[in-house]
Amino acid sequence: MRPWIATALTASTLAAGWMWLTLSGVVSDLFLPPPRELWDALLDLLQNGYKSRPLWEHIADSLIRVFTGFGLGAAIGTLLGLLMGYLPIVDALAAPFVEFLRPLPQLAYLVLLIIWLGIGETSKITLLFLAALPVSAVAARDGVRNVSQARVRVAQSLGASEWQIFRHVVFPSALAEIFTGARLAVGIVYGTLIASEIIAGTSGIGWMILDAGRFLRSDYVFVGILIIGFMGIALDRLLLAAEARWVHWAGRL
Amino acid sequence: MTKTLTTRRRLLQGAGLGAAALAAPAIARAAPASANFAFFVSTSPFMIAKGDGSIEQAAGAKVNWIEVASGAEINTGMAAGSMDIGFGIGSSPTASGISQGIGYEVIAMMDNIGPAEEMTVRKSANIKSPADFKGKNVGVPFGSTSHFRLLGFLEVNHLTHRDVNVLDLRGDAMMAAWTRGDIDAGYIWSPVKSKMLTAGGEVYKTYDKLEAAGYVIADLIIARTAWAATNPAAVAAILAAYGKTLDTYAKSPDEASVIVGKQAGVTAAVAKADMAEYDFVPLKAQLTPAWLGVPGTEGKFAGVLKGTADFLVEQKSIRAAPALSAFVKAINTGYLAKTVG
Amino acid sequence: MHDWRSLALGSLSVATGLIVWYLIGALNLVSTDLLAGPADVWAALVDILHNGYRDTTLAQNILATLGRCLAGFAAAAMLGVPLGLWMGLSRMADAAINFVIQFLRPLPPLSYLVLLILWFGTGDLSKIALLFMGAFPTITTAAMAGARQVSAQRIQAARSLGATPRQVLFFVVFPASLSTIFIGLRIALAGAFSSVVAAELMAASDGLGWMVFSASRFLRTDIILLGIILLGLFGMGLSRTLVVIDNRLIHWRGRE
Repeated sequence: MRPWIATALTASTLAAGWMWLTLSGVVSDLFLPPPRELWDALLDLLQNGYKSRPLWEHIADSLIRVFTGFGLGAAIGTLLGLLMGYLPIVDALAAPFVEFLRPLPQLAYLVLLIIWLGIGETSKITLLFLAALPVSAVAARDGVRNVSQARVRVAQSLGASEWQIFRHVVFPSALAEIFTGARLAVGIVYGTLIASEIIAGTSGIGWMILDAGRFLRSDYVFVGILIIGFMGIALDRLLLAAEARWVHWAGRL
Repeated sequence: MTKTLTTRRRLLQGAGLGAAALAAPAIARAAPASANFAFFVSTSPFMIAKGDGSIEQAAGAKVNWIEVASGAEINTGMAAGSMDIGFGIGSSPTASGISQGIGYEVIAMMDNIGPAEEMTVRKSANIKSPADFKGKNVGVPFGSTSHFRLLGFLEVNHLTHRDVNVLDLRGDAMMAAWTRGDIDAGYIWSPVKSKMLTAGGEVYKTYDKLEAAGYVIADLIIARTAWAATNPAAVAAILAAYGKTLDTYAKSPDEASVIVGKQAGVTAAVAKADMAEYDFVPLKAQLTPAWLGVPGTEGKFAGVLKGTADFLVEQKSIRAAPALSAFVKAINTGYLAKTVG
Repeated sequence: MHDWRSLALGSLSVATGLIVWYLIGALNLVSTDLLAGPADVWAALVDILHNGYRDTTLAQNILATLGRCLAGFAAAAMLGVPLGLWMGLSRMADAAINFVIQFLRPLPPLSYLVLLILWFGTGDLSKIALLFMGAFPTITTAAMAGARQVSAQRIQAARSLGATPRQVLFFVVFPASLSTIFIGLRIALAGAFSSVVAAELMAASDGLGWMVFSASRFLRTDIILLGIILLGLFGMGLSRTLVVIDNRLIHWRGRE
């Protein structure tokens, strides 16, 4: 049997199960909306938007926050991580904070951020920034640490300067791990985005789900979840493509 | 190889047992508790009965108190069948829940809100008339009775969402926003309201005109219909316990304020001031046509719920509102009648 | 760099942080309403140890949060590892199931919390389900990747020695993929710990996350900070535990 047939079989079983559960009334619409309702909800969102703002604006708001928070966090985190990998002093000083921040649940300090930074975009972006920073830093640091010393010595014996060694040996070698860290960071940032849209604001796809959930509009909630899912997949694919382009020698190391 | 395999297996087994041991209480608790009552931490005589265990005694079962922050959470819990009674759910979420056919009924009122939920404006924002709200930031918890009132205020004064920037803020977020100067006004209840007032705010009265225009809001006690039907004696006893706290508050408000303050985490003075703004309708008075009616005859409150639901439909918060009869049916004064006798 | 030197520098770093924190409050750079100082947090800790927080003891809250986290994580691991290994070895299984898993993976858990509460109620079950749904795709994907990268030669060698498929799975594939599986487990546990706090946002009556949110409603920044510090410490502890288990078990990783 061809593999795609297996995929099709699972997909159709799930779809059939869904339709049976909803159309036969075994499960109330509140718990699992029938396909028709989801379709209507999607059309409604596309035509009328949600709470008087078009759907694409909500999606754009969320994406802008993700990119800004991730961009800043990954950039500064990578920089910090490179420094930590190179200079043991920086590592010793920064490590306690990085290691503490990394497993810290974001929603827990979100409250403090609102109190300090207000309800605007600043607190949200800061939260996302802090979510991405530790992961990127650790990835960059490990990337530097795992550079083959043999290579570095070869470059040194060829008379390369410290900067040249970094640019041509260390950085390219660490890039693979930096990208792995980046993919992880995007996932975390994306998840944290939903958390950050719980605070003030009237926009964002995460806020839309939360608001719809308050009134038990399961149809909007489901459509929103589907949109979030596809957005997440797209983000991951984007990074994979970037990784493939820039780290194309990863296999050959 | 076998030796390391055994050590590895042992380590894995140990880790697994450790995890299971820690997880066991969580899994055990995942089984349904005896009775699940949802409540708000608020300055209300109800907290007396919660604190001294009289409600638990009346329930005749171990009570699992579930603290919620919004009526929406109660609706979700009721829809999931995992809450049996909800104390203090607002009329706005209640109207929403009844419209969506969630299986609960209103068994009593906790209070008629009146001035207890009100608009607080920043003194420095110089807001004297409805038109002054244009271009301002107003915070309110979406989906609450305050939200209902605020939307009513905008409607009555012909202000739209483009004129006034309405922000979805829960209590703590609103307090923070107020402290930082991010909002010019907030529509909410105490303790946040009183905190805003002491921090450069003043009251902007809206409740009298809004009530006259039909925007009545109240806090209610609801019970899951199925649970109440199987525990009628407990329901009546619980309402009796609640009625006692109203008597206590009426007779000795200072003493009551001390207890309530402790339960709600505020000073007795704040508790007293907060409670003074609510209209705690006595149980007997609830059983009149002016409020819930009597068994067999509907009261005005069914109309209030229906009006609320219709407004929510207009705001596109809920899809459709059923006819008045659904709301009449959803108010069950039978238990209250038994309690009052 | 000598270990004691990095320890000293680390401690210096933390101490400086504590001093800055203290000064912010003492010099009133930020009002103590908005940021409680170290002394207040300590006082809150002592108070809660004696009197509990809202009828819950600190131990109760810690155990509740850790218990939920481990329950969801353990369930995801027990289901995800075997499933992932199977999917890595069988193209049919992969084709049949992977697309569902890959759709679930980037879904932030908080987005479907309301649905889970609707389906499973407001008790612990919905929270554990949330953690399970968050950890399961990650662990399964890691196990899949782990199984895939097992050298085909090894499997062939084992088969030619007469090993049954079950023995191949248990003695060759599983150990060889353990290192990749552990990477997945570490990521999943970190995610589960983050999610458990999010899960305690709605209709919870105990737990460290609940304590933080409950305190936030009254702007008790001292309790909020206490909760954050405890969560950070336990998060680090959980992370470290897995790393230690990882190192003890996978001692041959470097030698491959």
